[in-house]
Amino acid sequence: MWKSYSGKRVGLKTLLLRPEVARTSRYARRWALQGVSFKVSRGQGFGVLGANGMGKTTLLSVLLGIVLPERGSVSIQGRVASLLELGAGFHPELSGRDNVFLYGSILGMRLHEVEERYRAIVEFSELGDAVEEPLRTYSNGMVTRLGFSLIAHAPADVFLIDEVLAVGDARFQEKCRRHLQEFRRRNGTLVIVSHDMKALAEVCDEGIRLEMGEVTDAGPIGDIIGRYQGP
Amino acid sequence: MSAHSLELLYLLVRKDLKVRYKSSVLGYLWALANPFAFALVYWVAFKYIMRVQMENYSLYLITGIFPWVWLSSGITQATRSYQNNASLVKKVRIPRAILPLSSVAQEMAHFLFALPVIVAFLMFAGGFELRASWLWQLPLLLAVQLAFVYPVALMFAVGNVYVHDIEHLVGLAFAMLFFLTPMVYPISMVPEGLRRWFELNPLHALMDSWRGAFLSGTLDGAKLGYAIACAAVFGAVAWLCYRRFAPRIGELL
Amino acid sequence: MIERSPWQLLEFLYLLARMELKARYKGRFLGYLGAVGLIFALAFVFWIAFKVIMGIDLPNYSVYLVAGLFPWAWMSMGVVSASRSFVANAGLIKEMGLAHAILPLSNVVQEMMHFALALPLIVAWVAIPGDYPPAWSWLWQIPLLMALQLVFVYPLALAAALANAYVRDIEYWLGIGFVLLFFATPMVYPVSMVPEGLARYFELNPFHALMECWRTVFIESRFDATHAAYAATFAAVEGIVVWLLYRRLAPRVGEVV
Repeated sequence: MWKSYSGKRVGLKTLLLRPEVARTSRYARRWALQGVSFKVSRGQGFGVLGANGMGKTTLLSVLLGIVLPERGSVSIQGRVASLLELGAGFHPELSGRDNVFLYGSILGMRLHEVEERYRAIVEFSELGDAVEEPLRTYSNGMVTRLGFSLIAHAPADVFLIDEVLAVGDARFQEKCRRHLQEFRRRNGTLVIVSHDMKALAEVCDEGIRLEMGEVTDAGPIGDIIGRYQGP
Repeated sequence: MSAHSLELLYLLVRKDLKVRYKSSVLGYLWALANPFAFALVYWVAFKYIMRVQMENYSLYLITGIFPWVWLSSGITQATRSYQNNASLVKKVRIPRAILPLSSVAQEMAHFLFALPVIVAFLMFAGGFELRASWLWQLPLLLAVQLAFVYPVALMFAVGNVYVHDIEHLVGLAFAMLFFLTPMVYPISMVPEGLRRWFELNPLHALMDSWRGAFLSGTLDGAKLGYAIACAAVFGAVAWLCYRRFAPRIGELL
Repeated sequence: MIERSPWQLLEFLYLLARMELKARYKGRFLGYLGAVGLIFALAFVFWIAFKVIMGIDLPNYSVYLVAGLFPWAWMSMGVVSASRSFVANAGLIKEMGLAHAILPLSNVVQEMMHFALALPLIVAWVAIPGDYPPAWSWLWQIPLLMALQLVFVYPLALAAALANAYVRDIEYWLGIGFVLLFFATPMVYPVSMVPEGLARYFELNPFHALMECWRTVFIESRFDATHAAYAATFAAVEGIVVWLLYRRLAPRVGEVV
């Protein structure tokens, strides 16, 4: 289980914008995240809602350790795998197979770990023989399926996911959701940022809502979704 | 360096080699053609037009240009390595020091692949013989150059995220250094007064060591020691630089 | 696909140029001095290497260098950056339709702009020592040569952009190619130093013709009609070849990029 409290400064042209604009513009606030603090227990699914630019991606970056908070700290126990951008590090000239190994290593897996899971990964992605072809021959859907499949099989205790639940067709998406639920049953922890309320409701049990970098709502996921979507 | 980092490094370099050589012999020859083409042009320009008087001028060129290309290409590529892999830096947690290292390692791999060709050239065009001393001299020089190049590459890579001009400056700087580290003429041609300054250039110490090892099987202890000392200094500075500036590059990219 | 008028394209060119200006000089005079200074620094290095060390015997060597380096920088940087223009603007390409020929043009024009901005300093460098006083004739010779160079370089830039879209390595080889060309087009030594047998080939080089034109203007205040005509012919020929190539390949650029 882990908790965090963070505040992080965004150093953009805040002072140059006209004051009225500065107050409301999402690029103009001094702190990308302020006073954000929460605890997630092992085996929990934690959702983060909010409109774009409200700090959700920044929050995940901070949790992952990519961006350092100016104040506060993050503490995570267990191995973390992130899915913030599908195929970060995929190279179009390489085959699907080579990309799986490369991406696996990028995610923190050892070569033998990828090796052990390779078959399962290819099966889940439903790519078949195409996995030996160069990535540039793949359709967008195929790339995202491969990426998600690899993540899904990464040996991790905690998954951080940013928006990438809408992968593939409806059937594949259902498969992904079931996989995540299964992961939670095995005591895996999830933190998910998404606009897909349905997915959040199915996979998470608690969450927060971010607005202008601050937490404006917290609690059971069903409740905050309800309040977010309004009367 | 953890085992995982080493594996990642290996995979990154392998990716580049696969893409660059496209798994073909032709690709290998094509990649070698680059430094050879340079050597050829300089040879014609300097031997016939500038009339540089020197025995085995072509060998002098070849044994210097290949290590030079490793050094300059390695650093030039490394400088942009964070920008080129922005999504890796921003979206995944990887040991960031790996990226510039992979650029340097890639170029080192190209250099290693070219070594047999250099040796062949020495033997067939120059009538030189294989030397046993190369067995320890070449690996030593490889290690020294790596220790020298990587810290510089790391500093430039991190620096370039803060100050984008660095990548333009680096290209020009190497073009200039190429002529100031005597690469196409022997240092003996430099007039007395200036020579002192040329000898202060650590790149000269390094390149001359390569030439010495290849051409006469000797290593000048003083030069090598100077290169090693510079590498140590760069290493220390780079480490401090990295600790201070690297954490924020995720935000700046 | 949006309908594009020539005016709209010109405005687009203007906007790109302004962005480039800001980017290169950062809106500061110091940035301008720095950028121009770098090329002078390069000239200085060549001067040390070739005049002091290798002992090239040319009385006006520093002028010879400077008069050639700046137009060369315009050309080589223009073509190399143009080669990236399709690949780097993949999104734009798909929207612009066939007007994407303007992208490499913008790179060449931007470098021309930097060249024009450097001209006052170049003129000062040449004129101040006193051996090569500026002449009124420069007022028409320089713009004429600039136009010639533009027509000469643009087809190369377009070809480079097209090639790079299909074979990504081209960008890398271009940089190297220009360095080789730099030494093969006498840029740091006078063509008089080339031994008889080889000199013929050097004279065939159209880049040499173009650079000689620049040097004769600055050093002799004379317009070198022969070399200019040769360069112009070459520009016309390559223009036609590239235009044909472009018409054939352009529609597919969007897919390949």
